[in-house]
Amino acid sequence: MTFRTLGAVCALSLGLAGAALAEYPERPINMVIPYGAGGATDISARTIAEPLGAAVGKPLVMANVTGAGGATGSVAVQNAKEDGYTMLFARVGSHSVNPAMKATLPYTLDDFRFVTVYEINPVACAVSPSSGITSMEDLIAKVDEGGVTYSSSGVGSLLHLAAVMVLSEFGVEEPLTKTTHIPQKGGGAAATAVLNGTATFLCTNSSAIASFVANKQLVPLMVTTAEPVAGFDVPTAADLGKPALHQLVGWTGIAGPDGLPDDVADKWGAWMAAATEDPEFLEKMTARGSVIELMSPEDANAFIEGQYNTFRKLVDDLGMRIEG
Amino acid sequence: MSFLDSIAAGLSLVGNIESFLALFMGVAIGVIGGAIPGMSATMAVALTLPFTFAMQPITGILLLLGVYKGGIFGGSIPAILIKTPGTPASSATILDGYPMAEKGEAGRALGMALWASCTADVISNLSLILFAGWLASFALSFGPPEFFTLILFSLTIIAGVSGESLLRGALSALLGLLLATIGLDLVYGTNRFTFGDPNMMGGLNFIAVLIGLFAIPEILAMVWHPTAHVGTARSLGKNWVSFADYRRSFKSIVRGSFIGVFLGSIPGIGAAPSAFLSYSEARRTSKNKENFGKGEVEGVAASEAGNNGVAGATLIPLLALGVPGDVITAIIIGAFMIHGLQPGPMMFILNVDIIYGLFIGLIVSSVFLFLIGTVAIRGFKYVADIPKRILIPAVLVLCIYGVFAVNNNIFDVGVMFVMGWVGFMMVRYHIPAAPFLIAFILGPLLEDNFRQSMLMSGSDPSILVRGPITWFFWAMTLLTIVAIVRAGVRAVKGTSALSPKVKD
Repeated sequence: MTFRTLGAVCALSLGLAGAALAEYPERPINMVIPYGAGGATDISARTIAEPLGAAVGKPLVMANVTGAGGATGSVAVQNAKEDGYTMLFARVGSHSVNPAMKATLPYTLDDFRFVTVYEINPVACAVSPSSGITSMEDLIAKVDEGGVTYSSSGVGSLLHLAAVMVLSEFGVEEPLTKTTHIPQKGGGAAATAVLNGTATFLCTNSSAIASFVANKQLVPLMVTTAEPVAGFDVPTAADLGKPALHQLVGWTGIAGPDGLPDDVADKWGAWMAAATEDPEFLEKMTARGSVIELMSPEDANAFIEGQYNTFRKLVDDLGMRIEG
Repeated sequence: MSFLDSIAAGLSLVGNIESFLALFMGVAIGVIGGAIPGMSATMAVALTLPFTFAMQPITGILLLLGVYKGGIFGGSIPAILIKTPGTPASSATILDGYPMAEKGEAGRALGMALWASCTADVISNLSLILFAGWLASFALSFGPPEFFTLILFSLTIIAGVSGESLLRGALSALLGLLLATIGLDLVYGTNRFTFGDPNMMGGLNFIAVLIGLFAIPEILAMVWHPTAHVGTARSLGKNWVSFADYRRSFKSIVRGSFIGVFLGSIPGIGAAPSAFLSYSEARRTSKNKENFGKGEVEGVAASEAGNNGVAGATLIPLLALGVPGDVITAIIIGAFMIHGLQPGPMMFILNVDIIYGLFIGLIVSSVFLFLIGTVAIRGFKYVADIPKRILIPAVLVLCIYGVFAVNNNIFDVGVMFVMGWVGFMMVRYHIPAAPFLIAFILGPLLEDNFRQSMLMSGSDPSILVRGPITWFFWAMTLLTIVAIVRAGVRAVKGTSALSPKVKD
């Protein structure tokens, strides 16, 4: 490179920097992942970060802030400046189940503005082969006999609510007294609890139990989506005539603090549209059993609000709200 | 397909330069990552994961396994040199490793840590290859009642690491149990002792407590008496472990390795309790019991064998059942799934070449660990020669940075300093810190498994004796308690016979 071209490049980049100064983003964006390294949210976030970083044009600084089922990281973003430089990878647990169930949570849905939901995870229910249960009918019959238990990744997790919602949709009138919830620490432990006979069944993200189903260690009973899920040769909620269960899916989205300006939200909409087109991203995510479904900022807010209201109604009807 | 065919298939898969290079790189990254306080083996594996997406499945998985194994060993380097465990698994190594460094035997302690780690690694890998099927069936027979009895038994370790006074050890353990109750209640989801602060909802961060308890008191002591160390020789790290040391500790290393294999094959326990259990067993059976905690090379050997014994064995539930035993293996399962591989019984039929390729890679990883570890020790051991007035402020900076980096949360740094003062007071009043830590790790497991058992049985306590495994651990617990009481009675008699006039 000659001296002159070097000078030209310098001048050009200076000029570009000057033009960008007025526009968001002019510096790296902090992205808070409220769950631990290597978990479903973390992997999803780090997978999208690659094409997203290219679309944004500024580095994305990924930081795991874990604790209390996603609450610690969510609070960090709730209290952040509303300038779009601190954003959150929100998840079904932290932003619809937990707010619906826990009265003392230090934040509500109104404290956040969603700019997108980009990933949907179908939920599947499964039992251990030794239980002799092969269909939802069998399971419900067993519930009436008594002694049925279900595992989850903790109180206020999607798994917890999913099991209750499925039972209640299938006509079990008092799911809280007829069955017993055996909470575990984390989704892996929840699946293990069904494998080793600690619990009768669980309802969780299909990707979390796909390998157990393929290895015939777990028997799937149903999936909550309208479309069948690859690898799960079972009826969908639509087949079983329970369309209300379509609401019961996991998701990952991106949110900022409530006062996020409109132009920032619009920018995120455009960036996400570009990022989710990336073939490598699509391939990696679908290999893990996720459905990539991009929602605009408005759609995302409506979707989460709808899910929250469904969950909240169920929680209130059954008296599951945690006050302490 | 015969056994030889499987090995040939595996060899053809890993018999290329990329695989070995990935493994080598992985071990090197792991040793360095593990040696940085606050980085921990878990984070090193998580940060390496995205780089494996573009690789061949076997290459990527070998890279991650290399990071894992290197990380577990690497954590012992700062534990020995600056009393700050690089990874929770190496907290037991502090007990004897740091006193050795203080005595000017850092090189010997590090060398023994490496030799013990590599031996345990080989034993663990061989157990994986030979007994995977058998141990895996065992893993699934561990429900909450079995866990409860196992952890109850493990709590007897406290007697082994209490030092001179069992009462002080018990006090320390109670404090640990108390602080472990902070956070969300497992069964009701309610807040416990959070005082309305969202930062407390997740409980106290384990690494912040760990570093606060061990490293910060050293720094405070230095501030208290800036010249206390002058005149005591802390140099040099030049000495090296001898073969006689190794032979003397060999029994403890093998015992520790098998404790590691056993606890590693049961999902949900992890490497830190295994290291402590191995340490306390070594102390119990050792001839120079008194020297434990004051810089006994066998103590370092036992702890390191205990934590590295877990590393190969956690792959047993992972490969044979598809069940992750801890956070690190959960990340590695993620790597399998990204490549469309589903760990579990079917994998031994469908992807037998990958399984055997991994086995071959694992065997080689022990050799790499030995080579890289030797080089790393040669580089790191001169830390022991740095004058304290320079080393201690540097350690303080590392601690703050490390604790912040775990969770990007300044609150954790505050927890570290508060725990530092607690640790400092404990040192001044001769209350040992190790029982605190064991209780802090095991307390929540004990509580959770007890309550899960009660949920399973509808509050019928007879579930706690439901099978042979529970009987076995109840018997072990009783035997250990009897042994502790007898030893205590004998010690009291012994001292009163020796010095009848001294009333204590």
